[in-house]
Amino acid sequence: MVAVVRRMRKLRALLAIRLGPGAAVLPPEVTRIHMDFAADIHDGHYGPRKFWRNCLPRLKYHNPAVPMTVNRTTNQTGPALMTVHFTSSVAAATIKPDISSTTTKQTSTGPVPESKAGPPTERTEVINMKHRQDSEILEQLLKLTRAKVVRATAEEQREIQEMEEQNARSERDAAMMAEVNATKKREAEILEQARGEVEAMQD
Amino acid sequence: MASSRPMLAQLSRLCLSPRISGARFEGARFLSATAACASKGKIISKKEKAGTASKGQNPQKNKKKDDSGRKKKKARTTYKSYDMKDAEMFSLCDAMRYIRAFEVGRPPTSVKYEMAIKLKSQKNGPVLRNRLRLPHPVRTDIRICVICPADSKYAEQARAAGASLVGEEEIFEAVKDGRIEFDRCICQTDSLDKMNKAGLGRILGPRGLMPSTKLGTVVKDPAAVLKDMVGGAEYRERMGVVRMAIGQLGFTPEEMQRNIRTFIEAVKKDMAHLNDRINKELSEVVLSSTNAPGFPLNGDFISADSQITTRDLSTS
Repeated sequence: MVAVVRRMRKLRALLAIRLGPGAAVLPPEVTRIHMDFAADIHDGHYGPRKFWRNCLPRLKYHNPAVPMTVNRTTNQTGPALMTVHFTSSVAAATIKPDISSTTTKQTSTGPVPESKAGPPTERTEVINMKHRQDSEILEQLLKLTRAKVVRATAEEQREIQEMEEQNARSERDAAMMAEVNATKKREAEILEQARGEVEAMQD
Repeated sequence: MASSRPMLAQLSRLCLSPRISGARFEGARFLSATAACASKGKIISKKEKAGTASKGQNPQKNKKKDDSGRKKKKARTTYKSYDMKDAEMFSLCDAMRYIRAFEVGRPPTSVKYEMAIKLKSQKNGPVLRNRLRLPHPVRTDIRICVICPADSKYAEQARAAGASLVGEEEIFEAVKDGRIEFDRCICQTDSLDKMNKAGLGRILGPRGLMPSTKLGTVVKDPAAVLKDMVGGAEYRERMGVVRMAIGQLGFTPEEMQRNIRTFIEAVKKDMAHLNDRINKELSEVVLSSTNAPGFPLNGDFISADSQITTRDLSTS
């Protein structure tokens, strides 16, 4: 098992999933976000992928109940679209989203079904993501949904700073150690070479 | 000579022991000045010499000796276990919230929750190893093939228990054509001869699908084994850790709770069944998933100050 210190260090990165680009609370009218883009990055599909990797986890963390799905196609020249589903504010308040897997049945017969619909979708908005940076996509999404961006509290601010310091320190240490290791290696090489010469002389 | 100092120190230490006479002590003191007298240093036994930092002509040899001196540290007999008091621990719902955020946009059926249970245990000795049925099986789409006459009562039972393929000749034909449409294969005892004659070993063997008595896949009553196979999962302890896939990403927190509870209880029961002298303890329970980091669990279902409900985590 991975050593506990290393694991804990990694877990501090959880801060990064709580805060940063994409950390925003969507209004209850947003019922679903779906992204459609190609599997490869060519022809303007770079931004959507970056958005999925960088921003979507944060969005999901702050809106755990909103289904967010990604569909990656093999059609590289096809469109890259984000579909946001909205419902009316009345429906959002009354109808709750469906539960994904059955809790009453002891053994389900098949794999868990794909996401089901919650409250009925009233309208959908489409964002074109092709040839866009992930920051641009996020900006558009936030504007469209009027989501509330989550800001760091004083405590979290302090933790972020601490982590930055730690990272800077570790970088410095790594550079120092790299130098030491290089010197060691160089010396070993010189020794090795000298030894080879001695042996050659003996032969 | 840089090396004379440690050697001298070593010698003088030796000379202070009562066994060595004063005359030799003088010799040792003398040694510090000239390298020629080093031959007198032969008082040191061979074994001791190996341990000392005596420098010979060959630097490579010296290196080896240094290493052997360091290796004397006693090897530990137990796996390292950590004090989790200061570590950050998570309630199940918090961990699931993070994991679901990490796994966003991945196909919900292919991503799995994984559980690792770290034990306080000896490095040698018996390991935990068992099968269990989770209340909510992780893999339910295993296709099982049963080899027995298609019109026998075994065939009927096997079909009822969930076998996807039942038969004899038609299966042999299909396998020879390269159509292997199953993940597990069970053979009924009476059909064993026929199967062996059909020569499937060359095709099924490399895939690990060939039924054999050793593996328990040649049985009298296929239906009974089938039931275990469909929802069953195996676990075993490796390097002091028991790992198992514990759920699909679409599972609700309640389902996960039931699965985790069953798993931990099974492991605890196994530990209790072990020999009296062998004592294993739970040290840490970590929930992870295919792409997420590991979250140590603190045993709570939902933390007191949680802003989310279990319902929020139940949507896919």
